[in-house]
Parts: sequence; C-alpha cells; structure tokens
Amino acid sequence: MKAIVQMAGIATLALAAAGVTWAIKGPPARVLRCEPSQLKPDEVCLEQVPSEGVVWVDARPRKDWVANGLEGSMLWNIDPAEDMQAFEAEAVTRIASTPRVVVYCGDENCGVSRQVAERIRKLDLGAEVSVLHGGWRSLNEAGRVKGSSPGR
Amino acid sequence: MKRAVLVWFALALALRGAALEFPQTLKEVHAPAEAKTVAVEFDFTNRTDKPVQVSRYDPTCSCMSVSIRGGKLRYEPGESGVIRAEFDMGNFSGEVDKAVAVYLNDDPDGKPSVVLTTRVHIPVLIALEPKTQKWAIGGAAEAKVIRIAMNHAKPIRVTGVSSSSQAFKHELKTVEEGKTYELIVTPLETKGPALAIFRVETDCDIAKHRTQQAFAVIRKPIPGEKP
Repeated sequence: MKAIVQMAGIATLALAAAGVTWAIKGPPARVLRCEPSQLKPDEVCLEQVPSEGVVWVDARPRKDWVANGLEGSMLWNIDPAEDMQAFEAEAVTRIASTPRVVVYCGDENCGVSRQVAERIRKLDLGAEVSVLHGGWRSLNEAGRVKGSSPGR
Repeated sequence: MKRAVLVWFALALALRGAALEFPQTLKEVHAPAEAKTVAVEFDFTNRTDKPVQVSRYDPTCSCMSVSIRGGKLRYEPGESGVIRAEFDMGNFSGEVDKAVAVYLNDDPDGKPSVVLTTRVHIPVLIALEPKTQKWAIGGAAEAKVIRIAMNHAKPIRVTGVSSSSQAFKHELKTVEEGKTYELIVTPLETKGPALAIFRVETDCDIAKHRTQQAFAVIRKPIPGEKP
C-alpha cells in the first residue's frame, strides 16, 4: 500500500514538472531535425542542398509523386509495374547536364531512396548522389511541396 | 521508496515488452532469373505475458501482397503466427529490398514496431560495363568500349543495337559468340553536349532480360572525375 502511495507521489511530481516545462517552453517541437554530424555517409540535410543545379528524384509511388512531388523532380521508384529503362533514360538525360542528385522517399524510415541512389550510381555518370535525410517530410516541413507551408 | 521505484520499472518494462518476437526480420532470397514472384514467410511468437494485437501490416509498394496465416490478428502469450509476403518481381535484376511494416497494438502512424525486410537477389544475365561512356566537350573524339557479358547457362546472342542519336557512330564486335561482345562507340565530334541511348537487343529466352540499354554522353567534365 505504501509503495502505491509513493508511486502516486512520483507520478504527481513528474506530471507537475512536465506541466511547468510545457508552460514555460511550450509544446515539444515535432519538426524533423537534421544534424549534419549524425548523418549517414550518403545522406544530406535539406539545408545543405544548393537551391539550383540539383536533379531531385522522388522514390515514392507514382500516385504520391503526382499528388505532391517536389516541382521539377523526376520519378524513380522500385515498383515493378514501372518501366525501369525509362527511369534510367530520363535520369541520364537530366544528370548529364546536372551531375548533382538528391533522392527522397516518404520519411526518414524509408529505405527505397537508398536503393534508387545506388541504381543511379550504377549508371556510371560520375554524379554526386545523396539521400535526403527525412525524405519528403523534410521538404513538406520546409514548405517546398504542393500544399505545404514552412514549419508544418 | 525503493520498492516503489522497482514496481514502477516493472510496470514500464511490461508495457515496453508488449511485442512479438521475430527470429528473423531480414531474409535473403536468391531467385532464379525467370522468377515472376517471390514468397517469403516470417515466423513470430508472442513471448510477453500479455496479448498482442497486430493492428495492421503495410507493404511498401503496390508490388507486394501481405497476409497473416489464418487472418488471425490477436496473439495470446506463447502463441505463434506467420506473416507471408509475396512480391511481383517485374523486370528487376540485381539486388532489391522489399519491406513490410508491422504495426502492433497502438503503434502510431509511421512508427511500426517491426519492419520485415526481404532482400531478393536476381541474377544479372546481361551485364553492360560501363553503363555510360563519357567524353568531355572539346576533348578527343576517340572510340570507347562498352563491354557486354552474358551470365546465363545458355548462350545469349546480341541480335541488334540501335542508337537514339546521330552524334555517335557505333560498332558491335563479337568477342565470343553468345558470351561476350564489345560495343565500340565514337562521337563524330565533341564541340557541344550530346547524348545517345543504345538499345541492345538479344535473343535471351527470358523476356524481361532481353533488351538492355547503355548510354554515351558528351558534357562538361566534372571536377575530379577520371577521364
């Protein structure tokens, strides 16, 4: 019985501390953070990507790319219903003149962008190919895609 | 006080442990070149002392169908089950990863408890190396070679090569019939940027491998790139 009372006491204290923190600092930030020092070797933060001279590759399903892909991006996913040779041809056409490529997929847990990046490297174009940390979510939070606004 | 802290930790651990145990979350499959579909099964057991609900399982592409044996979604302590994933391999070759996100109990969107990955290796029957030959604008318009190597039990012959551009001439050389070829590509000039797509047609008996492509590009050199 004593243990339960003490547990209730700990819970009350913890809740009170959390409430004070909320009141002073506001709600927790739910925006994606990108820390360059913690990136994987092939990853890049959105802030590190130049505003021009980049080929953006959307590795999500076609319907998502059509709905809210980054303007000017090209599609390359690993859906077997798609024509991989058409993806290759478009990528070569674009990358030949712009040898900097950033691939994004749905969010930070999505592994498709890394697979697509590897396929682009195998084209032997000598392009610098990176994966966007946070994927489409980071573009959305930065207000870079259709229907988004910064800080969402 | 010490007892209160212990009870607190025990409670926290019980909640944290409300999950299924998968002996393997990554399975590698070596599929034959002609494979149209690949099926993989992931076994799991509820090793906790509470029931676990599989709230949903999401394939990461439309090429996948996922099912759970018997359609059973609630697992009592000690109970086992199987998640089966079947993939349409389309025209893939090489290595491809396919993932299934498994959400348990009240997992929030985008935060599944488990991600099951199937790594499928599909033989590359016709390898083109390099995939792209490059020339620098203003550089020497010299001939370069794209090697074509067949990696199949049966011979694969190149039946034709077509180009999308008049800016390059090309010639196919047979090194060993049905085994190795060379596509020799020469730009007519290197004054400005140009690009060609070469379609290599073969008599491969597996349709999805039959046609391959390689590229030739004339462009500004990339700093640090090997000529």
